[in-house]
Amino acid sequence: MDTSLRRYYPWFAVLGLLVGGLVIVAYYKDQFREWRSWQQVFRKQELARANTPEARAEAARIPVEIHQLVLPGLNRVDRCITCHAAVDDPSYSGFPQPLAYHPNHDQHPFDKFGCTICHQGQGRATTREAAHGQVPHWDQPMLPMKYIESACGKCHLASDIPNAPKLARGRAVFEEVGCIGCHKLNGVGGMIGPELDKVGASHSPEWLMKHFKNPAAVSPGSGMPPIQASDADLDALTLYVLSFTGEEMSAYYVSMKSIPGQLAGRRLFQEKGCIGCHSIGGQGGKVGPALDGVGKRRSPDWIVAHFRNPQAVTPGSVMPQFNFTEQEIRSLTEFLLSVTDTNVVGFMKIPALMTSVARGKTVFQKYGCAGCHGAGGVGGIPNPNAKTAQQVPSLIHVAAGYTKDELKKRILDGQREIPSLDPAKPHPPLYMPAWRGRIAEGELADLVDYLMSLMPKADNLGF
Amino acid sequence: MLQRVWNAFRASRVGRSIFRVGLPASNLERAQVAISSFLLHLQPAKVHKRTLKPSTTFGLGLISLYLFLILGVTGVMLMFYYVPATDAAYQNMKDLEFVVTAGRVLRNMHRWSAHLMVVFVLLHLCRVFYTGAYKPPREFNWVVGVVLLLLTLGLSFTGYLLPWDQLAYWAITVGTNIAGYAPLVGQKLKFLLLGGHMVGESALIRFYTLHVIVLPGVVLMLVALHLWRVRKDGGLARPDEPAFVQQELAPGQLPTSKTYGLMELARGSTPAVGLAPEDVVFTWPNLIFRELLLFLAVVAVVLVLAIFWNAPLEELANRVHPPNPAKAPWYFLGLQELVAYSALWGGVVVPGLLVTALVLLPYLDRRRRGLGVWFARERKVALTLFTVCLIAAVVFTTIGSLFRGPNWSFQVPWKPIPAEEQAFH
Repeated sequence: MDTSLRRYYPWFAVLGLLVGGLVIVAYYKDQFREWRSWQQVFRKQELARANTPEARAEAARIPVEIHQLVLPGLNRVDRCITCHAAVDDPSYSGFPQPLAYHPNHDQHPFDKFGCTICHQGQGRATTREAAHGQVPHWDQPMLPMKYIESACGKCHLASDIPNAPKLARGRAVFEEVGCIGCHKLNGVGGMIGPELDKVGASHSPEWLMKHFKNPAAVSPGSGMPPIQASDADLDALTLYVLSFTGEEMSAYYVSMKSIPGQLAGRRLFQEKGCIGCHSIGGQGGKVGPALDGVGKRRSPDWIVAHFRNPQAVTPGSVMPQFNFTEQEIRSLTEFLLSVTDTNVVGFMKIPALMTSVARGKTVFQKYGCAGCHGAGGVGGIPNPNAKTAQQVPSLIHVAAGYTKDELKKRILDGQREIPSLDPAKPHPPLYMPAWRGRIAEGELADLVDYLMSLMPKADNLGF
Repeated sequence: MLQRVWNAFRASRVGRSIFRVGLPASNLERAQVAISSFLLHLQPAKVHKRTLKPSTTFGLGLISLYLFLILGVTGVMLMFYYVPATDAAYQNMKDLEFVVTAGRVLRNMHRWSAHLMVVFVLLHLCRVFYTGAYKPPREFNWVVGVVLLLLTLGLSFTGYLLPWDQLAYWAITVGTNIAGYAPLVGQKLKFLLLGGHMVGESALIRFYTLHVIVLPGVVLMLVALHLWRVRKDGGLARPDEPAFVQQELAPGQLPTSKTYGLMELARGSTPAVGLAPEDVVFTWPNLIFRELLLFLAVVAVVLVLAIFWNAPLEELANRVHPPNPAKAPWYFLGLQELVAYSALWGGVVVPGLLVTALVLLPYLDRRRRGLGVWFARERKVALTLFTVCLIAAVVFTTIGSLFRGPNWSFQVPWKPIPAEEQAFH
C-alpha cells in the first residue's frame, strides 16, 4: 500500500523545490528594488568627494533606506528624496539628475511643502517611471517645467505673485475670453459648460491646448466655440487652468489666498464706500483728506492704529469706527501703502471712480459675456445651426434695436431656446442664460450703458 | 541529534499530551492518527479507493479550501497595514506596492487567490452536478455548498471595494445598483449594504467588516459543516455497488477474518455497512499524501501569478468621473449584461430563479440513478438543462467582460478604443 505512493515522491521534491524557489524569487524582487541603486549613486558620489578619512568613514555610513517627507497638511507622502538625495545640498548645484540641488526653496521649505505639490508625479512611488507618473492610472504625471508656474496658483491668487508672469497672463486671458460666461469656477459662473474647479487635476496640458483650439475634437459633442487667441495666450491659459486642481490642503496652505494683501484691501476699500469721503487722483469725496501718497505721510503703524480707532489717533476726526477685523485692517493698510502719487491712474479702475460705461465693460468681462459674444461684443463666435447666421449675435448694434429697459429684460430673462436654422439638425449648443438673481442691479445698469455705447458713431447718423 | 531531541520531547509528558499518536507505523496507528487528531478527524480513517483517483473530483473542492486558507493567511497580513478609511485606503495600496516588505506579493496573492477561489468554487459546483453527487443522502450538503458559493461571491465582492480605486468604486456602485433592482426590498437592501445612497465612507467600513470578520467566520463554520457532512454522508458519492448490496448476510454472520473499528460504522452507504470493506484504504498516508501534494501545487500556482502579475490598481476613486463603461466584478458581468436589456430580468428574475433552482435541485431530482458517475446517460434531461444554463452564463459573462465598450456598446476586444474617448474623463 505504501509503495504505491513512492511514484509521487519526485513530484513532492519538484513541487517543494518549486515553491521554495518561488519564495526566493519573491524575496529577491521585494528586496532589490530600483531605488536602492539610485541611492548607491549618491553614496558613491559622497565617497568620491570625501577627502579625509573621517569624511570617507561618514560617507560609508550613509544608510541605504527610503527617505520620505510626510506632509499631512497636503495629504501627501513624498519619497522623491529617496533618489533625489541631494536636493538640499548646495554643493550639488548644477549636478545631473537625480542628484541635482534644488535652488530657491527658502520660502517653500521641503519639510513643509515636499515635492509633488508643485512638480506633481507620484510621491509615494519608489520606481522612476511610477514616481514620475508616466504610468497608466496616474492622473498627474510630472508637470513640464514650462507649466510649473501653474503650481503657484494652487495656493496663491494669480495676481498676488510677482514671479509668475505666465500665471498672471493666463488669468487675464481667462477673463478676456470670458470662460466663466459658461463655466463655473469656485462657484461663480454660468451653467452651460461643466465646472472647472478640478479640471487641472485630471487633464494634460496637451489635452487642454487641443481643447481650446478645437473643443469638439477632444470632447465629442462639445458645443464650446474654439477660443480665438494667439498660441502664446492659449499656452498661458493652459497654464492657468492647470492650477485648478481642487487640491485639499490644510489652512496653512490655503490661507495664502486670504492673507491680507493689496487686492483684498482694494476690494474692501471699494465695498466700504471709502470713496464717499476720501479721494484718489482727484476723484471721490472731499469730506476726508485725499489719500494719494498717504504711505509717504504716515507710517504703517499709524494707519493701522487709525483704522482701529480714528479718534484715538486724530482727535476730533469725523471718520466713523468701522470695526474692521485685524485682517481687514492689514489688507486696507497694504492697499493704502500702495497708493502713491505716481500711480494714481492705475486706481481709476476702482469702480466708484469710473464712468458707468467703463464699469459696464468690467461687468461684461466679469460675467464672461465675451465667451459667446466675442471680445467687445463684436460677435463672430460660431453657434452651429443657430438662425442668426450660425453665430452668436454681435452686440454692437443693440442700441438700435432695444430700449434700455428692453435690453435689461432680455439679459435678466435670457433665451433658453435658440431657433434652429434647420429643424432637422441638432439644436444650437449655445444659448443665452437668464441672469436674474445672478447679476446685481447696479451691475446690470452699468452693463446696459456699456452695451448701448458700443454702437459705432457712423452707423448712428443715418436714422 | 535533532532526532534525539524530538524523540525525547515526544516521550515526555508534554509531548504525549500534544501528539497522541506518532508517525504511524501500524494499521492501528494509521487509523488512530486520523481519529484522534483534530484536523485529520475531518476525514474518516479509511476512504474508498475511488477517492484517490484524480478524475473522481479533480480536487476542485479541496483547491477551493486551500485558496480560502491562503486568502485567510495573506488577508490577515494585509490587515496589519490596511486602514478602512476613504482617505487612507488607496494610499495604503500604494504603500503596499512601493515600500512595505513583501506588500506587493501579498496583495497579489490575495487578489489572484480570490479570483481563483470564485472560479474553483464554480467548477466544484459543476463537478458535483455532473457526477450527480447532490442526490440523497447528500441533498443538504449541496444546499450548504450553494450557500458557500454565494458567500464566496460575497467575500470577493466586499473585498473588491477595499482598495478604493476607480475600479473598486465603480464596480461596487454597479454591483449594488443591480441589488437595488430587487422588488420591494431592493432599495432597502442597497441602503443597508452601503449605509447610504452612494458608495462612501460608511459603505467602506461595512464592506470591510463583512469582508474580514463576518463572511470569513460564517464560511469557516459552513466549510467545517460541509466537510463533516461529506464524511457523515459516506464519503464521496459513488455508484451503488449491486454485487455487494445484494449479498445478504445472516445476522451474526459477519466474516470473522475482518476486524472492524468504530470509525468504520456510520450511517448510509459507508464502506462498512453491509459489505466487506474491500475497496478502502487508510486515509493516512494515501489521501493525506495526495492532499499535501495538491496543496504544494496550489501554492506554487498562486505564487507564480503573484510574482509575475500585479493586481490592478487604478486611479483614486472619484465619484464625479465614472469610467465608461463602469463594470461590475467579472462574475457579475453576466447579470450586468442582462440588466442592460432589462433591469427586472437581469437584476431580479434570473439571479432569483438561478439560486432557487440550485437550492431546490436535490429535492426535485431525487432518483439515485447516475450517482457518482460523470455525465450519466440516465440523467440526460438534467444534464442538458444545466449545460444550457451554464453555457448561457458563460456567454453572457464573456460578452459583458470582453465585448462591451463605452456606453455598453458592442465592441470587439482586439480593436482599441479610440484615443479621444479614453482621453475624455
